[in-house]
Amino acid sequence: MDEKTSIIGRVRGMNWSGLLQCTAVEKNGRTIVSDCYYEGAFKLARPIYLHPSQPTIYLMHVGGGYVDGDRYKTEISLQKQARMIVTTQSATKIYKTVKTPVQQYTSFFLDDQSVLEFFPDPVIAYEKAKFYQETTVYMKESATFIYGDIITPGWSESGGLFRYDWIRSKLKIYYEGHLKLFDHLYLEPSKGITGIFQMEEYTYIGSLFVVSPLITKDVLKKFENIAAHFPNEAHFGWSTPAVPGLVVRILARETYIIETIFQLIHQLIREECFQEEPIFLRKY
Amino acid sequence: MLDKLLPLLQLCDSNFPSGAFSHSFGFETYIYNEKINNEKTFREALCAYIRTQLTYIDGLACRLTYDFLQKQSKDDVWRLNEILAALCLARETREGTRMIGERMWKLCREIYPFEIWNDDKEKRDYIHPAIVFAIVCDHLEIPKDITVLSYLYTSVQTLVQNAVRGIPLGQTDGQKLLVFVQPYLIEAVQTIDALTEEDLGAVTPGLEIAQMQHEQLSVRLFMS
Repeated sequence: MDEKTSIIGRVRGMNWSGLLQCTAVEKNGRTIVSDCYYEGAFKLARPIYLHPSQPTIYLMHVGGGYVDGDRYKTEISLQKQARMIVTTQSATKIYKTVKTPVQQYTSFFLDDQSVLEFFPDPVIAYEKAKFYQETTVYMKESATFIYGDIITPGWSESGGLFRYDWIRSKLKIYYEGHLKLFDHLYLEPSKGITGIFQMEEYTYIGSLFVVSPLITKDVLKKFENIAAHFPNEAHFGWSTPAVPGLVVRILARETYIIETIFQLIHQLIREECFQEEPIFLRKY
Repeated sequence: MLDKLLPLLQLCDSNFPSGAFSHSFGFETYIYNEKINNEKTFREALCAYIRTQLTYIDGLACRLTYDFLQKQSKDDVWRLNEILAALCLARETREGTRMIGERMWKLCREIYPFEIWNDDKEKRDYIHPAIVFAIVCDHLEIPKDITVLSYLYTSVQTLVQNAVRGIPLGQTDGQKLLVFVQPYLIEAVQTIDALTEEDLGAVTPGLEIAQMQHEQLSVRLFMS
């Protein structure tokens, strides 16, 4: 992991609005957070063990929201066989951005047989906000990466939807060093995003990505069975990416519809791939 | 220019055996759900497709490839190819695009001698059609804007042909549509010209869901 150490070295001292780095290691069948560093507006609370051997960490923003010109960086490393659940303490709120778009970079390094479950709270962009987020995953073939992301239509004083300037969200998954999954959502409401091929008159987008050798034909078959019972209010599609895994894209008119589907899938994967009980990320 | 016109006509001919006519790229799901069911609804969808998928993915990929070729930067072409393969999350559409690209690449290498590509020993299991198209046009010394415009036109032509069969529409309606979209295609070339690699691949969630749902459709005319 020399390459990674040097990346971490370079990242510090770059004047981030918030920087968070942490490493999880497996010791005698239990994962512990061995190394943790944060500065600026980012903070990490003590890991919570909702599962006896798998920590859940809550990423926190002490300021309450992202403002003009903010730049954030999060780097999380899972060493061999480490298992961790990562979430946020509250929604990612992006306020009016007049000059420089808010940028958020998140990287995950997943070593052999590690398992990362990443379910951040939804992104809420306020009126005139510009937000760029890029999530990059460097993973081994034997590792598992699960990521659920929700983008809301934002918030404005007038109550109108889609009042932000734009949101660009990219996900890059490097699998054994090769880019195998690239997702790029770009929402610029002034150009018209509500119609056919785009939001189809829905308002919330949910995207769930699973890359894992444990997503077998059998698991996909079971997924298909539960997908038949997803809430009617959701408009969704699912498929399999170029590497073993599952991708689900959901359009809905409320956050909880997407959250419900995420939870059903998350639970299925925990049961079928890991013979584990479901985890509930109790926050409220 | 006369000598360039004929190879371009051949490449854009709807009889050029790329296999594209077997794919609807998600349109069939909309036809199945009756969201697209006549000339008007198809026309609106086609315009949306030009503004989104064709601009930010296919057209931009074609233009970027052309730029990379002008700079003799083959590594960038293959890097772009890797991005395009990773970008398509719907399996059927990804496989369909792969088959079309592969077939075009094989055929074009038979009919044109691309010496500069002979040193490429790596086994490619994917090559995007937009990249093949740009490589051929660069080889034929066809200007960049005409290359991009022609590529957009062939994509739209295939969709119109498929709509004539799938909805169905009259042949005359199909030809009228191909006249109607011309200013939209020219506008798209201008938009594409101002984009950068950062813009590449901005997906349209609704269309992508349709491409994914196509895998489960009970009655299908098309492979994607």
